[in-house]
Amino acid sequence: MSLMSFMETMSTSSFPLIAAFFIGLMTALSPCPLATNITAIAYISKKIKNGKKTLLTGFVYTLGRMFTYVLLASLIVYVGINVQAISLFLQKYGERILGPLLILLGLIMLNIIKLPSLKSGERINKIKEKLSEKGYLGSFLLGVLFALAFCPFSAVLFFGMLIPLALKYSDAFLIPSIFSFATGLPVIIFAFILTFSVSKLGKVMNKIQTFEKYMRYIISIIFLVVGIYYTLRIWF
Amino acid sequence: MNKKYIFFGVGIAVVLLLIFTIPKYFTGNVTASGTSISGDIEKIEIIHFHATNQCYSCKTVGNYAEETINTYFSNELKSGKLVFGHINVDLPENYELVKKYGATGASLRIGVYNKNGEFSKEENVNVWYKISNKEDYMNYLKGVIESKLSGE
Repeated sequence: MSLMSFMETMSTSSFPLIAAFFIGLMTALSPCPLATNITAIAYISKKIKNGKKTLLTGFVYTLGRMFTYVLLASLIVYVGINVQAISLFLQKYGERILGPLLILLGLIMLNIIKLPSLKSGERINKIKEKLSEKGYLGSFLLGVLFALAFCPFSAVLFFGMLIPLALKYSDAFLIPSIFSFATGLPVIIFAFILTFSVSKLGKVMNKIQTFEKYMRYIISIIFLVVGIYYTLRIWF
Repeated sequence: MNKKYIFFGVGIAVVLLLIFTIPKYFTGNVTASGTSISGDIEKIEIIHFHATNQCYSCKTVGNYAEETINTYFSNELKSGKLVFGHINVDLPENYELVKKYGATGASLRIGVYNKNGEFSKEENVNVWYKISNKEDYMNYLKGVIESKLSGE
């Protein structure tokens, strides 16, 4: 049995929670979520110094994805919003905004674009510092945003497979949650590996700290590359 | 301390939710989705919906479907019993068809008309898992179309 036919069998399993998990796993492997997950991995690697934080950031990112998917499923299952309208809308506009937004974020991180400082700059700076220090809000928002970026194949998996499942069982919580967990699984696994290896690396911590200085540039460049990939794919 | 209470509260909420939601997956008491019609088949439409910007997989799903139909169902195509088309969901002239099929984006959808004038539609998601193996894809879709044509 090939991997794809295994995934197909599991994704169409008669037990909905198993199906939801494998539909999510398939989504994680499809092009757009793969690209956004790589960006997220780069982002959470910023917290490399603190193992526990890295792990939590990975989880919070997945929670962000969960928020979006549960919200979308709830709107469709409980509120009765038209699946077709929401799907076509997100595919048309979600992706178009994501590319330029990632480029913008990359440029801000590289300090090429400076955020306008208002008169109350000190206060804003304090808030900015607090947010970036915590990092959790950032990774949550990243998860929320990235989950909204539907590509054709991930839309098939979500709107063509997961939503019919959620509608069939009138469940817009557990089924989408398990699906979301699976879509964020690569990031969580990577965070685990990172946490584990960093704690083993005690002695080379100093080197990692030096490496961290370059990390910011690497992350910014990954944001730019993923952003350019999206922009070229959609706009040209 | 406050944080502990928050985690505790969230934990309890999740556990309660699981207790109330999980049993329904075992009872099998669910409403059926999708429609199916029986009787003599008048016509079958197979439509590959796609957006203006097509991904690699989207093109492959459509191209393999077209090849399957041209290879195995040329007689049905000529007689008009089977209709195949690539439809761009972004074009305004396709609006009615996109709405009729409920297309949510790139997809392969099958519409069946019987002689009583009834119509049923469904999306086939399995084809997406078969694009890495053309032979597998074509054999699978051939089987699906054959069973639809025989009115199953």
